[in-house]
Amino acid sequence: MTDNKTAARNKRISHIVMFVILIVMFFAFIFPFLMVIINVFKTKADITSDPLSLLGAHGFTLQNFPEAMKKMNFWRSFGNSAVITITSTILTIIFSAMTAFVIVRNKWKACTLLFSLMVASMVIPFQVLMIPLVSLYGGTLGILNHRATLIFMHTGFSLAMATFMFHGAIHTNVPVDLEEAADIDGCSRWQTYWLIVFPLLKPTIATVAIIDAMAFWNDYLLPSLVLGRKELYTIPIATQVFYGTYSTDIGLIMAALLLAILPILLLYVFLQRYIVEGVTAGAVKS
Amino acid sequence: MKKFSALMLALLMALSLAACGGGGDTAPDTNDGGAAESGGGKVNITIFNSKSEIQSQFEEMAAEYSAATGVGVEVYFSSDTVAAHMATRYASNDPYTLAMVDAKDIYSLGPEHAIDLSGEDWVANTNYAVSVGDQVMGFPVCVEARGVMYNADAIEAITGTPFVPSDYATLDAFRGLLETLVAGGMESPVGIMKEDWSLAGHFLAEVYEEQDDVFGYVDGLYAGTSTVADNEKFNALMDYFDVMKQYNYAASSPIAAEREVSEQYLAEGKIAFMFGGNWDWSMINAYDYSEHLGMMPVPQNLDDGANQKLVGGGSKFFFIDSSEYTSDEQRQAAKDFLNWLVFNADGNKFLTEDCALVPAFSNIAAENLDPLGASVKEYADAGNLIDNYNYLPDDHYSMMGAELQKYLAGQQDRAALAAAIEQYWASTTPVER
Amino acid sequence: MKKNTLSYKCQQYAMFAGISTAAFVAVVILPFVYGLYLTFTSWDGVSKDKPFVGLSNYTATFSDAAFWQALGRTVIYSAISVILVNVVAFALAYLVTRGVKGQNFFRAGFFIPNLIGGIVLGYVWKFVFNRAFVALGTSLSVGFLSTSWLATTGGAMLCLIIVSVWQYAGYMMLIYVAGFMSVPKDLIEAAQIDGCTPNQTMFHVTVPLMTSSFVQCLFLTITRCFMVYDVNLSLTKGEPFNTSVMAAMHVYNQAFTYKKYGVGQAEALILFLVCAIVGVTQVYIGKKAEVAA
Repeated sequence: MTDNKTAARNKRISHIVMFVILIVMFFAFIFPFLMVIINVFKTKADITSDPLSLLGAHGFTLQNFPEAMKKMNFWRSFGNSAVITITSTILTIIFSAMTAFVIVRNKWKACTLLFSLMVASMVIPFQVLMIPLVSLYGGTLGILNHRATLIFMHTGFSLAMATFMFHGAIHTNVPVDLEEAADIDGCSRWQTYWLIVFPLLKPTIATVAIIDAMAFWNDYLLPSLVLGRKELYTIPIATQVFYGTYSTDIGLIMAALLLAILPILLLYVFLQRYIVEGVTAGAVKS
Repeated sequence: MKKFSALMLALLMALSLAACGGGGDTAPDTNDGGAAESGGGKVNITIFNSKSEIQSQFEEMAAEYSAATGVGVEVYFSSDTVAAHMATRYASNDPYTLAMVDAKDIYSLGPEHAIDLSGEDWVANTNYAVSVGDQVMGFPVCVEARGVMYNADAIEAITGTPFVPSDYATLDAFRGLLETLVAGGMESPVGIMKEDWSLAGHFLAEVYEEQDDVFGYVDGLYAGTSTVADNEKFNALMDYFDVMKQYNYAASSPIAAEREVSEQYLAEGKIAFMFGGNWDWSMINAYDYSEHLGMMPVPQNLDDGANQKLVGGGSKFFFIDSSEYTSDEQRQAAKDFLNWLVFNADGNKFLTEDCALVPAFSNIAAENLDPLGASVKEYADAGNLIDNYNYLPDDHYSMMGAELQKYLAGQQDRAALAAAIEQYWASTTPVER
Repeated sequence: MKKNTLSYKCQQYAMFAGISTAAFVAVVILPFVYGLYLTFTSWDGVSKDKPFVGLSNYTATFSDAAFWQALGRTVIYSAISVILVNVVAFALAYLVTRGVKGQNFFRAGFFIPNLIGGIVLGYVWKFVFNRAFVALGTSLSVGFLSTSWLATTGGAMLCLIIVSVWQYAGYMMLIYVAGFMSVPKDLIEAAQIDGCTPNQTMFHVTVPLMTSSFVQCLFLTITRCFMVYDVNLSLTKGEPFNTSVMAAMHVYNQAFTYKKYGVGQAEALILFLVCAIVGVTQVYIGKKAEVAA
């Protein structure tokens, strides 16, 4: 009894300590955002002269939001970003998980080659590819300025890393005996994959989804090369007008930042649950 | 398991929806994307604007212009460097009809990508057009000049007498004024921008631009025959720089000076002087600026007339794309647009009032310029502008900017700086001109 | 079954990896090969002709002192950042999987920095370092805060490292959290019943089972740090005195700002090789460890 009590008390104390550490870290992580939130309601003059005060000399203003929304054509850009992000993320997940599966479960030369190439490609600086990429797709094929082209490229570029992550997950978390059991039950590899393997990848799917969605949502360089027409602009391209050589409008940047971040934050909170659920432990037991 | 399949199903549905949406949307794009659109009758042109501060004015103008003329105008901006952005547009065979670039880009892009504008009416009205060989290729968007920006209100509040810039043309007189300001309570009356484009691109460039024989001097630098350390001009300008350094409000940590803060100080009169150009107005006007600001030549003791002049000229140039991806109708529409800017009252108003640019054409009157622009126009009209040197190597501002930053931070002396400049030029491939 | 026939293999491969392979080759491999070709030309990036110059871009690369300095700087920056990112990320992941109150909230909070793109992130931090910290330092008269860290050589590097840790720790935390979750609870319980202390359980049961998380995180942080560009550009722009120019930025400048496209491309290739060697070695060692565990 007393042992249990001490254990419980120790546990409570350690939880309090951890909680305090987390709070401190949390503030360190959130500090720049506090700065953004404090300053987004100020005029540019007040942001420059007094970045820490809650309220500037020129008073509270909401002006940064409508101005930023107008200058970046918010709803159109938002729509473009949403279509591109959602489609690219889903395609990436479907194809990379399948690829990882065939690579992990088969020691064929083609698989090894593909995987090595993919891993190697993750260290290619994007700047190396950008001019050849636009030369090939714009100059030779002439298919730039389509959302579909960007979705295709996003998927192509992110496959390597997503495959890499699924590779690790399948390798460690999907028990081969489950698959063998399914095989014996008469499942084809295709069925085994979709019925047994894919569902087990839930936490990794959620992780890849959030990481890729975020990368697509925020990507600037690739969309700026592919989408040269205003009606196709995504949020990051639409906001670049706030960054000039001789003037940077920090108030508008902050407003745009808050507007752009919201949807992706919601997605994260939603997907978090799936990352949290440790499915594997349960699967092995059953 | 059920929940999960439901989720996947939802995702798949979203996917197919998105795919359909994407498909439906992309179809009309193909039409827009096609460059030559002679069939429909309506001509669309694209304009690349590389001055971020006038992007919204440009977009409003485009809408009005389209409504008035029936020519569709789309205005684009990129925060990339102009050269990098143009490179990607040309690599993708998707050039702008009309692109606003810097003079050096006209020299590098023009021969292959620009059409000859020699036959245009506006050529006779400007001294600032850029020619490559015997062809006029760059339409000057505005006049910009560099010099010392001052806040007369702040100065007069201490001296009590009207501020006449020409009284302080020599460095000795200027230093005297700074002393007076300090004695009058303005502890450090000067700001210095530490940005490399300001230090090397704008300030150091004056060392070359104010030489008697500019081309000869630069050729000598390439060849290693011109010197910097004992050059009169270099020393006169660096003497000025030393004075500015001494009275810099951020003297204790000059590299930490934020441009926004410096501009605000100048606008509100916390400091009185800063080296810059009339484009700085786009920053200053965001603050509670005092009424009497202006620009004056860099004070120097060297009596060669340079202390009576600003340095500058045409800035930002339009060129019209010559490639097969632009149709003749589009080229004509682009020419019409340039003529509209110069010869139409609305076009003039757009340049001088909406964008507050100093016009590069003699027939355009400009009454309501901002104070810095007004100073520039005054010097330009009086013929007191020293020409820009437009052939600096591409890495000059970055390499030499770093050296001047070291000098500004007190990490190297004048001799070391001069040696670095000489060494840089001697090891650089000459830029053709 | 006829699992060893070539047609079975081809069919399986095409079914699972066909589309991926096609997309990957089309988007990554082809442009890369074409880019490789461009390193043998003296193209300026915009001109129509691409004169063939053989290996001269590579000789230019070897004599480009600024590039090697930038590369050396990148190695130092990466080494420090990679270690710090992973230590912080692992610690955070540990703390948010202990069942502390509000741990989901904390997970979301730590991940937030990732939700912003690199460019914006740099601007926000620049604002924090240059203004907020300085304003804070001046009003509290804390000496080391009252001038901007970005203005000094070491300070600018420190700022880059701080921002990288801040940016990537939450992301890597996510992978470590997934790792922690994937360690079967019964194994840990078994270890505890066998009398392992929490520390022993941690280092002898949990950590070895998380090897794949470590491999992933290290690989991701190494490659990202080596290729850092966005934050470098918007936070320091190479200042002061070009002492914070990282390799990717130097490459970009060579290719586009200084218009030596071929040299830039050749230098990018060298950056790629360095990065690939480090990254792949790390994965290789990690895989061995995994097998051993």
